[in-house]
Amino acid sequence: MSMMTGNEYRESLRRLKPEVYYLGKKIESVADHPAFIPHVNAAALTYEMALAPEFEELLSATSHLTGEKINRYTHIHHSHDDLVKKVKMMRALGQQTGSCFQRCVGHDGLNSVYSVTYEIDQKMGTDYHKRLVDLLREVQSKDLMISGTMTDVKGDRRLSPSKQKDPDLYVHVVEKREDGIVVSGAKAHITGAVNSHGHLVMPTAAMKAEDADYAVCFYVPVDAPGVIHIFGRQTNDERKCSCFLDQGNVDYGIVGGEALIIFDKAFVPWEHVFMCGEYEFAYELVERFATAHRQNYGGCKVGLADTLIGASYALAQAQGTDRSSHIRDKLVEMVHLTETLYCCSIACSCQGYALPAGSYMADPLLANVTKLNVTRHIYEIARIAQDIAGGILATAPSEMDWKNPKIGKYVDKYMKGIADIPTETRMRLIRLLEAMTCGTALVESMHGAGSPQAQRIMIERRANLERKKRLAEKLAKIGEQPLFVC
Amino acid sequence: MPKNSHKVKVALKYCGSCNPHVDLTRIARHLTKLAETRGDFQFVPMLEDAIDVVVILCGCPRACGNKPEVRARAGQSLLTAGESINGRHVPEAHLPSTVEQELIKILDS
Repeated sequence: MSMMTGNEYRESLRRLKPEVYYLGKKIESVADHPAFIPHVNAAALTYEMALAPEFEELLSATSHLTGEKINRYTHIHHSHDDLVKKVKMMRALGQQTGSCFQRCVGHDGLNSVYSVTYEIDQKMGTDYHKRLVDLLREVQSKDLMISGTMTDVKGDRRLSPSKQKDPDLYVHVVEKREDGIVVSGAKAHITGAVNSHGHLVMPTAAMKAEDADYAVCFYVPVDAPGVIHIFGRQTNDERKCSCFLDQGNVDYGIVGGEALIIFDKAFVPWEHVFMCGEYEFAYELVERFATAHRQNYGGCKVGLADTLIGASYALAQAQGTDRSSHIRDKLVEMVHLTETLYCCSIACSCQGYALPAGSYMADPLLANVTKLNVTRHIYEIARIAQDIAGGILATAPSEMDWKNPKIGKYVDKYMKGIADIPTETRMRLIRLLEAMTCGTALVESMHGAGSPQAQRIMIERRANLERKKRLAEKLAKIGEQPLFVC
Repeated sequence: MPKNSHKVKVALKYCGSCNPHVDLTRIARHLTKLAETRGDFQFVPMLEDAIDVVVILCGCPRACGNKPEVRARAGQSLLTAGESINGRHVPEAHLPSTVEQELIKILDS
């Protein structure tokens, strides 16, 4: 078996017994609980679309290890074409789900750890890369969904990992044994965590010698002993259990379903350890993962924006405003912003390059520009969508009122837009727009793949201001006057 | 060695310099001086026949100058791409001297 169907993925989740809590209760089956079903559905689409003739060109790839056809989410990029296809795949998935399909994080983790373990081994004489390749073979052959588990809870942000009062505020090695390591700590905001098969855990920041115990990278199955998941609340998440129409995006929900993962003296065998004390490589791993993940945002969020534009246009039609010049202008502005983001992701992919391991990564500067633009443009796109929708976005009666035998007729009568479009159509579009613009989804665009300041730091590091200064000095006849500034 | 006879033919191929991360001309100037000092190699245009070594100078890791048809122009090639030489990280300050070492290895081999 190499590629699962969506239902086989759901069945594979049912065979696992992860420790998951939501609203204070332990969850028996992630695949069957209404709080998680939309997220499972979105992830399942990464399996379904890989098998669909319409999308297989983007969602499948050829394994460089076995030559077999695999899901692209288990593939290591080996060309510019691979990098570009990742972005296009994510746009296609974003369009079909209108939500986060979660699987990119582990994909980016696998690619980052693949290249960095190669370089650790070259310098330190370790065998981490072989271990990672062995895991990758398993991931590809079983078509596993892996979470990319990076962000530590961080405690006092002024202090490095080893200087924290509580040593567990960054994931760290508490014991080294003959057969493996024992780790403690917690990782926050982990997308798709509860419906993944396992977690690829990476350090979250640059490390110094005193932080060596925190420079740790490993893989654990989702149901490994000592691995505990606490699923986060989302805006209007109670609607998943009580409503249908009012959910807006009933099949796929909003964002990815993030969880806090606690490692309470969890054991990791050596074959699943990919960094253990090599602190000088922690930054490189973080930067490669961040680059890969920030590259994505002009793909997935663009797909979401496509659906948002469509919803705004359809709602304008339902309300009779679609021919107004200012509405047309706003729709054009949404498209302009959306395609600008797509340009960024395509550009950073085309400007990507080969690494010593033979794998490819996107251009870090352009990938960071991509994500920084997402923190602005998606908000602006959502703002325009809300502008087009009108105040009804925040005041519409619920589906329970619409279905109420006594007052439902009033809701149907007074919520109607133009005469030949049913009220239900308008209400569904309002709820979809609400789900996509009025809460958790926007925060994800701000902080997912790192907060804006993280992108600014990386942009400054790669800005090459000195060369730009020399270009200006040449034109202004200051100092040396070479024929060209190169 | 008589001037221009039996000299190894070395060509420089730039990536195009759209937005280089490193100063490529510094490397080129360094190699020009090296050619004068050693006298056993000479720079020739890329269009010349029977080039022995092509030094590919790329301003960033994208390495746009590193194409099969460029490498095929010479028996051996040496690639600088941003802060790297033949895929190995080299800080910008050390690029000229490291390119020199790599070129000498080829010349002496």
